Amino acid sequence: MASAGRLPDGVLGVPRPELTSQPRLAPGCRWSTQGAQQVVLFPEGMIKVQGTGQSILELCDGQRTMQQIVATLAERYGTADPLKIAEDVSSFLEALWQKRIVDYL
Amino acid sequence: MAETNRGLPMIPNPLALIAELTHRCPLHCVYCSNPLQLVATKAELSTEEWIRVFQEASRLGVLHLHLTGGEPAARTDLKELIAAAREAGLYTNLITSGLGITESVLAELMQAGLDHIQLSFQDSRDEPAQWISGAKAHAYKVALAEKIRQLPVAFTVNLVVHRQNLDHIEEMIAFIEQLQPERIEIAHAQYYGWALKNRDALLPTPQQLESCSRSVEQAQLRLAGKVRIDSVVPDYYARYPKACMGGWGRRLMLIDPSGQALPCHAAGVIPELRFDNVREHSLEWIWQESGAFQKFRGEDWMPEPCKSCDRRTEDFGGCRCQALLLTGNANATDPVCSLSPDHHLIEAGRSAAKLDTAHVAWSYRTSMG
Repeated sequence: MASAGRLPDGVLGVPRPELTSQPRLAPGCRWSTQGAQQVVLFPEGMIKVQGTGQSILELCDGQRTMQQIVATLAERYGTADPLKIAEDVSSFLEALWQKRIVDYL
Repeated sequence: MAETNRGLPMIPNPLALIAELTHRCPLHCVYCSNPLQLVATKAELSTEEWIRVFQEASRLGVLHLHLTGGEPAARTDLKELIAAAREAGLYTNLITSGLGITESVLAELMQAGLDHIQLSFQDSRDEPAQWISGAKAHAYKVALAEKIRQLPVAFTVNLVVHRQNLDHIEEMIAFIEQLQPERIEIAHAQYYGWALKNRDALLPTPQQLESCSRSVEQAQLRLAGKVRIDSVVPDYYARYPKACMGGWGRRLMLIDPSGQALPCHAAGVIPELRFDNVREHSLEWIWQESGAFQKFRGEDWMPEPCKSCDRRTEDFGGCRCQALLLTGNANATDPVCSLSPDHHLIEAGRSAAKLDTAHVAWSYRTSMG
């Protein structure tokens, strides 16, 4: 259910980041490299991050808001639809939030 | 699959290193997974030796370092070891009883770059926790958990479950929940070492297991998005064996306090294995060449029914140490498997489990150092 300043809630009660949320890597999760590959290490393992995912996650520094992240990506990818970008960023962050790799301030 | 110049399949890098820093421990838990023969303090690797091991591990491709024991905080150089591991690029996980970690030690460990703390609890109640661990530690752990939660570190609470505490599993989950960890690991006791000695008093009843699974599922739903709960069926009640260590010599390497490199923490029980030591060889050499790591790597060693079984690439024939401990033959199919010709040994273990728990004579884990 969408309300002002808030994106619709995701499935399984996972909170969607709000436009003012400041996403960041959760405590105990951090960037590392495996050879030339960027990875995020977390307690149970690691995920390889590349392409768009990497672009999104690198902007999640606990400072930038969702709105700023979406604006930065929209600018970077030029023609892309900001609403579509907001949707993609939300889904991506929700999936990582479920794994406790990301949280929102 | 890539091949080496000897025509053998290339061995993938280990992903995790388990460093048993010491066998010293203030607790005496009746299900301790340490070997019955503990390593003496004077035989422990030095600070410099451990640091070299961590650097070699990182070069070998290891990502996660699990610092355990005994009680790793019994090492006075723990903060130096964590700092060096971080410096080498490893993700540092401290598996601890909490004893020996004061507020100032905790601050030092954080300063050194600790990523994840896994704190063990024996029970939700003080008295049974003391009965199981042979030490008065519960209140200290609770106070420590509150301090940990104030810090920006990943926090897991580990709870070992067994016949003596499963009847109040819901209470224990509720207790842990208010400590606010990100994760709860509900670990059924595994029957090696001290736990095997105490198996008849620890092995749960089928009714307890069923009710435990229900309680865990309910808690998982209730806490979805807040606390992640991991729990696995104890292998005595599973149909197929566990993929022990993710396959022998496949993902994990364990270094014991004296520097011996083992494919699994219990591997010392297998008499035909000779373990190489990090004091004499590099980790890379050990991973590639050590006889102990090669012994059960891959499928060549497998007997029937494993050899022709479709599950062999999933469970790798189960646990070699369990096969040895129960059948006397480390090459046997893990008797946990319902297809094993020795499965009756598991059934016998289940029926030997004593329902009368009024008079339990524990073999408490001994002290060291």
